[in-house]
Amino acid sequence: MKLSFSELSIEKKLGVVAFVLGFVAIFLGNPYDGVDVKINTKDIALSTVDNADKFEVTELADDIIKQNADFRLIDLRSADEFKTYFIPGAANIPIAELGTAPLMKNEKIILYSTDDLAAAQGWFLLKAKGYNGVYILDGGLDAWKDKILFPKLPANASEEQKTEFNKLCEVSKFFGGTPQTDATETVDKEVKLPTLTLPASTSLTTPHKKKKREGC
Amino acid sequence: MMNAPFFKFGLFGDEISLVVAFVIGIGFGFALERGGFGNARILAAQFYLTNMRVFKVMFTAIVTAMLGIYYLSVIGWVDISLVYATDTYLLPQIVGGFILGIGFVIGGYCPGTSVVSFATGRIDGLLFFLGVGAGIFVFGEFYPMLKDFFMSTPMGRVSIPEFFNISYGLVVFIVTLIALGGFIGAEWVEKWMAKRKGDN
Repeated sequence: MKLSFSELSIEKKLGVVAFVLGFVAIFLGNPYDGVDVKINTKDIALSTVDNADKFEVTELADDIIKQNADFRLIDLRSADEFKTYFIPGAANIPIAELGTAPLMKNEKIILYSTDDLAAAQGWFLLKAKGYNGVYILDGGLDAWKDKILFPKLPANASEEQKTEFNKLCEVSKFFGGTPQTDATETVDKEVKLPTLTLPASTSLTTPHKKKKREGC
Repeated sequence: MMNAPFFKFGLFGDEISLVVAFVIGIGFGFALERGGFGNARILAAQFYLTNMRVFKVMFTAIVTAMLGIYYLSVIGWVDISLVYATDTYLLPQIVGGFILGIGFVIGGYCPGTSVVSFATGRIDGLLFFLGVGAGIFVFGEFYPMLKDFFMSTPMGRVSIPEFFNISYGLVVFIVTLIALGGFIGAEWVEKWMAKRKGDN
């Protein structure tokens, strides 16, 4: 005896609908995979005007020391470059993979590369995909080295500059850097990158410090 | 503070989001009550396999929400990367699940349903609800001691498709099959338990 769909009980009808929807889902792909986007060029252009999308290295260093890191720090360089040195807490996503990386749109994301250029390109990519909280680390890893790891005291420094420099020395030591007291000495010398001592999160899925709890 | 869904789109501010959350909360409570979840006997019966209503309602909710979110995101109405997913801390969450489960069997409620039960005027619901509050307070006081364990075995934000490296759609299908199989199994278990009860 053959039953038609309309003769089934409501539970069975729902069951059949669920089965069909579930089965079709196999062929529809991953909703995270969207690589085609529509962008609002004016919006994006405007947000670059007042440098609101830049993040200072000193600010970043401060947040890391105080464990205030409420953001995801993304290193856009290649995996090999990443292995040699990265800013503590950073995760590595080469720029080609940025479009499909499992980043959340409700997170604050700070991008950096060697300099500003790649980070700016990555910034545009994410902005176009609808990520609102994307920032560029101003000056990139170069600025991080200059200002945080190897800060230099100018030869004819004023008192103010000296106190500022002393503060920076503490920050520098925290990150395993070496402050340069005499600028002339190290100008042409290759500065050695510190080996990482901090427990650094390298995985994209490393959770934030603060847990958010939701439940039934 | 919990915010209503879609809050991250920036379509509305804090105040409106709380109003939306309030309305959804009322709807959630109403659905739980209508589903019979305000009654500790029905809830506890799940664990003795004499009444599989909790299983059926939960899996109906899971499959409905999953198919809804999946299809809405496939057609582009919902941005799935805005949907909040909790980080996984494997060991503490297993232990926490057991504690919650034991409390569930003993008290007959989970935190949400105790509020529903209290709202319908049940005294056991009120006591359970007060117990939840006391438990939160005690946990908060002992948190410094428990913190290391609480934060142990972190796995970050993992989803089943990522973890097993299979396609998203396939997981949707598998979960649907588990649910449908579960429903058939649940009916069978209920009949079997009723028959066994009749034999005794």
